Amino acid sequence: MNKTAKRAGLLLLNVFFIAVCFGVLVPILYAFSVSLNAQNSILGTDFSFIPRALTLENYRAVLFDRPVLLWLGNTVTLALSSVCIAMLVAVPGAYSLSRLRFKGRKSVFNGLILLYSFPAILSMFAIYRLLSPIGLINTKAGLIIVYVGTMAVFGLLNLKGYFDSVPVEIEEAAQIDGANGLQTVMLILLPLAKPALIVTGMMVLIYVWNEYIYAITFMTGADNYTLAAGLYSLQATEMSGSWPVFAAASIVVSLPILAVFFATQRFMVSGLTAGGVKG
Amino acid sequence: MGKRRYGALYAWLALAPALALIGLIVVFPILYTGYISLTNMNIYHWFTFRIIGLRNYINALFVFDSGFLSALGVTALWTALNMVFQLTVAFVMASLLNIEKLRYRKVYKTLLMFPWAMPGYVSILLWRNGMFNSQFGLLNQWMERLGLEPVRWLSGDVSAFLSSMFVNLWLALPFMILIMDGALQSVDRSYYESAVIEGAGWFKRSVSLTIPAIKPIIAPAVVITLFTTFKQFDVIYLLTRQAGARTGANLHTVLTYAYENAFVTNNYGFSSAVSMILFFLLIGFSLTTKLRARRAAQ
Repeated sequence: MNKTAKRAGLLLLNVFFIAVCFGVLVPILYAFSVSLNAQNSILGTDFSFIPRALTLENYRAVLFDRPVLLWLGNTVTLALSSVCIAMLVAVPGAYSLSRLRFKGRKSVFNGLILLYSFPAILSMFAIYRLLSPIGLINTKAGLIIVYVGTMAVFGLLNLKGYFDSVPVEIEEAAQIDGANGLQTVMLILLPLAKPALIVTGMMVLIYVWNEYIYAITFMTGADNYTLAAGLYSLQATEMSGSWPVFAAASIVVSLPILAVFFATQRFMVSGLTAGGVKG
Repeated sequence: MGKRRYGALYAWLALAPALALIGLIVVFPILYTGYISLTNMNIYHWFTFRIIGLRNYINALFVFDSGFLSALGVTALWTALNMVFQLTVAFVMASLLNIEKLRYRKVYKTLLMFPWAMPGYVSILLWRNGMFNSQFGLLNQWMERLGLEPVRWLSGDVSAFLSSMFVNLWLALPFMILIMDGALQSVDRSYYESAVIEGAGWFKRSVSLTIPAIKPIIAPAVVITLFTTFKQFDVIYLLTRQAGARTGANLHTVLTYAYENAFVTNNYGFSSAVSMILFFLLIGFSLTTKLRARRAAQ
C-alpha cells in the first residue's frame, strides 16, 4: 500500500471516531447546553449545541430553589456509610473464603453464587415487611442495611476472586519472617489487592448513588430523599415545564460520580474481572 | 487439631457480619417470596390471605393471558438482540481502536466511556426527556428540520422496544468495548504476522485467529453481561412505565412484569410466584454456564 492511501485511511479513521464520540455524547451535550442556555424556547427547532446566550440561572435554581443540597447531603451520608460498612464486612469475609480452610467453605461460596442471581428489586416487598415492624422504614439506617446487604454478595465474591489471584507464597514468606496474621493481611494482602478494594468500594458507592426505587419507596417526604429519588421525583412532577432545570440537575448529580469513575478507571478491568462478577 | 478448630471458628467469625446482612436482605426475602407465592395475597386479601398451593405458578406458566409467557419471550428476544449487537459493535470498535498509528485512541476511549460513567438513571431520564420527548425532544427537532413528521418514539410497542434497546446498547457498550480492547491487547502480536504474510484480510484474520484467541478472555464478562441484560429493569421502566407517566407502550420484560404485579396491581401472591420462577430460571442459567465453563476448561 502506498503512503498517501495509508494516510487517507488513518484520516478517515479519525473522522469516524470523532463522529462516533460526538454521537455517543449527544444526550449529555444536549442537556449540558440546554442547562446553560439563556433563551430556551421549548418548542424551538433552532437548537444549537453552543448556546447563543449563557446563563447560570438554571444551576442557581437547582441549588437554591430545590432541596438538591439537602438531597446531596442525604446521598453522601448514605453512600459513605454504606461503602464503609460494606468494606468492613466484606473484606474479612472474603479473606476467610479465600485463605482459610474450613468445613462449609465451598457451600457458602456456591450459595453466594446462587444468591447473586436473585434480582434485588424483587426483594423489595419482603424487605418492606421485614423492616417495617422494627421501625426501620423511612430511616437512613434501614436503607443502609438494604444497600449493604444487597451489595455484600458482590463484595464477597469480587474480593474473594481477587484475593485468590494473589499468590499465597508472599504471605507465607512474611509469616516466616515473623509477621502475625493481622500484619500479613494489612501489610501484604490488602496493598496487593488495592485494585479490587477500590473497585468494590466504588461499585457500592455508585450503586447507592444511583439507586432510586428503594429510596423512593422506603422514604417519605422530600426532605429524606436521596439525589436519585429527588431527581426522579423532579422529572416526574414538573418535567414538562422545567426541562432546563432538570438538565442542570442531571449535570450536578452526575459530576461527582464522573469524577470518581475517571479517577478509579485504571483499576476497573483488573479489579472487576479477576473476581468474575459485575455490580 | 485444636488449632484447626480455632481456625474454623475464626473463619466463621470473619464471615458472620456479611452473612448476617445477606441473610436479612437476600435470603429472607427469597424465602418469604417463596412462601407468599403459595398464597392468594393481594389487595383484597392483605391480612386474610391463605395458602392456595401452586395455583399462582399454574396461572403464570399455563394461562397465556397472564402475560408472563409473552414477557418471557420479549425478554429472551431482548437479551439475544442486545448481546448480538453488543458483541459485534464492541468487537469492531475495539479492533478499530487497536489499529496501529491511531494516535488519539486514549482520547476516544475516554470519551466513549462516558455513558458507563454517568449515573444510569440520569442517562435514561435524559434520553427520555431530552431525546425521545415527542414535543421538545432533540430527535423530533431533527426530524422536523429534515421535513419529517415527529415520531412518538416510546408509544408503540415495537418502537419502544427498539428505543429501549438503543439506550441499553448506549449504556452497555462502553464496558464491552473496554473488555474487548483489553482482550485484543493481550493477544500476541507475532501471532498475526504469519497471517498477514499469508495475505489474510481483516475479516478472515478476525474469524480464524482473533476471535478464538480472545474468546476465553472475554467469556466471564460476556456471561455477566448476559445476566445483567436479562435482568434489565431501569431502561424499560424509566423510559416507558413510570408511575403516572406511561408512554402508552405495553412493553414488559420479566422484571418490569413482576414489579408491576407487586406494586401497581398489588397482586403479591402472583408476583411472588413469577419472582420464584425467575429465580429458578437464573439459577438454571448460572449452573449451565458454570458446567460449560468447567467442561471447556478440561
